[in-house]
Amino acid sequence: MNKAWMGLVLGGILGIFDGLTAWFTPAVRPFIVGIVIGSTFKGLIAGVLTGWFARRVNSLAWGLAFGLGIGLLLAYLVAAMPSATGEHYYWQIMLPGAIVGLIVGYATQRFGQQSADRSSRQPA
Amino acid sequence: MAHSPTAIDPVPRPQGFPLTRISLLGALEEADPARSRNAWDELLRAYWQPIRRYICRRWHESPEAAEDLTQSFLARAIERQTFAAFDPRQARFRTFLRLCLDRDLANVREAAARQKRGGGETHLTLDAPAIASHPVLRTAIDDDPEELFHREWLRAIFETAMERLRASASLSGREVRFALFERYELGRSSTGGPGERPTYDELALEFAIPRTQVTNHLAWARQELRRLVLEELRRHTASPAEFRDEARRALGVEVT
Amino acid sequence: MSPLFISDAELDRLRRSAAEPDLAGSRYELRGQLGRGGMATVYRAWDAVLDREVALKVLDLPEADPALAARLLREARVLAQLEHPGIVPVHDAGELPDGRAYCAMKRVEGSRLDDAARELTRTERLRLFLRICDAVAFAHSRGILHRDLKPENVMVGSFGEVLVLDWGLARIVADLPAPVPGNARDELEERNERELTRHGAVLGTPAYMPPEQSSGVVSAVDQRSDVFALGGILQFLLTDAPPSAGAEVRIDGSKALAAACSKARALSPDERYPSARELAGDIERFLDGRPLTAYRESLFERGARLFERYQTATLLVLAYLFVRTLLLLFARQ
Repeated sequence: MNKAWMGLVLGGILGIFDGLTAWFTPAVRPFIVGIVIGSTFKGLIAGVLTGWFARRVNSLAWGLAFGLGIGLLLAYLVAAMPSATGEHYYWQIMLPGAIVGLIVGYATQRFGQQSADRSSRQPA
Repeated sequence: MAHSPTAIDPVPRPQGFPLTRISLLGALEEADPARSRNAWDELLRAYWQPIRRYICRRWHESPEAAEDLTQSFLARAIERQTFAAFDPRQARFRTFLRLCLDRDLANVREAAARQKRGGGETHLTLDAPAIASHPVLRTAIDDDPEELFHREWLRAIFETAMERLRASASLSGREVRFALFERYELGRSSTGGPGERPTYDELALEFAIPRTQVTNHLAWARQELRRLVLEELRRHTASPAEFRDEARRALGVEVT
Repeated sequence: MSPLFISDAELDRLRRSAAEPDLAGSRYELRGQLGRGGMATVYRAWDAVLDREVALKVLDLPEADPALAARLLREARVLAQLEHPGIVPVHDAGELPDGRAYCAMKRVEGSRLDDAARELTRTERLRLFLRICDAVAFAHSRGILHRDLKPENVMVGSFGEVLVLDWGLARIVADLPAPVPGNARDELEERNERELTRHGAVLGTPAYMPPEQSSGVVSAVDQRSDVFALGGILQFLLTDAPPSAGAEVRIDGSKALAAACSKARALSPDERYPSARELAGDIERFLDGRPLTAYRESLFERGARLFERYQTATLLVLAYLFVRTLLLLFARQ
């Protein structure tokens, strides 16, 4: 499996899992389906971007940084949208989202195949 | 005593199987005075300089005093037949000789000190501790008497070999070979002064010969020196094993 | 003519000079000494034809045993068969004008494995070891056994490259391509073997020598004998001490590596790794955090290994769960 596919799959799975944890919060439980779909979508985007980055840059540190950045950015975009009650859940969404980004960043750097036609490059 | 250092003649030796230390030591006690005398000459030739220089460096004596002490040590050794006690199974002759020498000199120094305390006179210098503690006069090797004596012994071997090399070059009418080698290896100029090691090209210019001839002359001299040193080593060792060991120590080479 | 007096410095110079080979008329110019072996000295020399520095291995003296000259030339021929980045390439071999046999090899800048290893971590040492195994496995694939593998015979270059040296005791066990055809090779090998063992001496270095080699049964020596020596090198790299025969291998912090050493150094060849490649495979597995074939680990050891292997990933997942739990608890309050 190449790194982009791996990021996509891992991001999707972690997105589903991350969304499902909303079930433990009674206030948002009625909206669980929408939360899971949104979280999965966010995970897929973060995963494919991080996987694409890992194909181009072979560096654990940069991979982690990119995963963290993408995770935080997408989580921020989601958190910035007000909930049905009009509240914003910045901490509840951004903190786990950042860690999920780190996990995907790490996994795409350590595992998965580098594309055959590209040599690894370090950012300047 | 008849065996003075001036009797030592550093000319090429007769060909044939060399007199080893063991056969030499046996000859020292020969009834035949001529044979005994030859044996002593041989022994003196081999060890006079190492003993004298060892006394200078290890016992911090002046060259003149060291010469007297060498003379008196060997005279006492002849008189007391000291070397008859040598057992080649226990040690090298060189080690045995050095131990005898150290013991003898310690006795002499003690006697001199007693004499001085009693008001007598002595030619021995008794400021050895001052010299010994002097950082410039001491060298690392001076701390190990065995190593020091070995070095002096080796120096004598190489000096003899170099003299023989000079004689050999002279006999064949190729003095230039030795002069070239001396100039290159010892950095000495034709006038005897010290100098830097010249390059082959500089030598070719200095001796007005082609560079290839410089290489050939040096190769001959090295080969000849090696042969002569090994011959001297073989002459001054008591067994093939000791010879191999000395060759390894002196030249860092394995020989059979 | 005044008698010669030689100073200490002059004496040292003459001693070196008398031992030096005569390169007159050859393409080489002596530049210094690199090291000394049991039968030969290795010099730094300049190849005037190709304008490059070489390592010139020269037998000690023309008076030395002629079998040694044959051995040196044989080493050159063996090396010429082995073109591999981990095996020092030979450029030239022959006899110098003074009759000494010589062999010109690539000049390797670096230090011996036993010196180089001092400044390396365990992982770096194991990676070096893999390169040694690679070179030895290549020689085995060409039908050549080294038979004197030890840290002193491995050079580590300034860029971490590894070169296996001193193939003077090598044994050819399989047919090689030219220049030695079929039966002639067997005859040559037999003759070489006789020459090598002519003096009744067992050749090799005791601490690294397998029992079948020290007992002198030439036919019993195969690639597993080199595996035994490689096990000794591995043990040296892991303990900083030469291996001792029969003693239990103890390596701080890794029973798996100790088991790999023990398996490589088993007294019976049948109990060893069948090849250098198999031994290297186990070391690679260790470096990758995978289980070794030489060691059956307990459940706890397996857990510890897996945690070590996936340490960062495990910590990240734990961090995620911890944060999620904290946030939930916070929300309920």
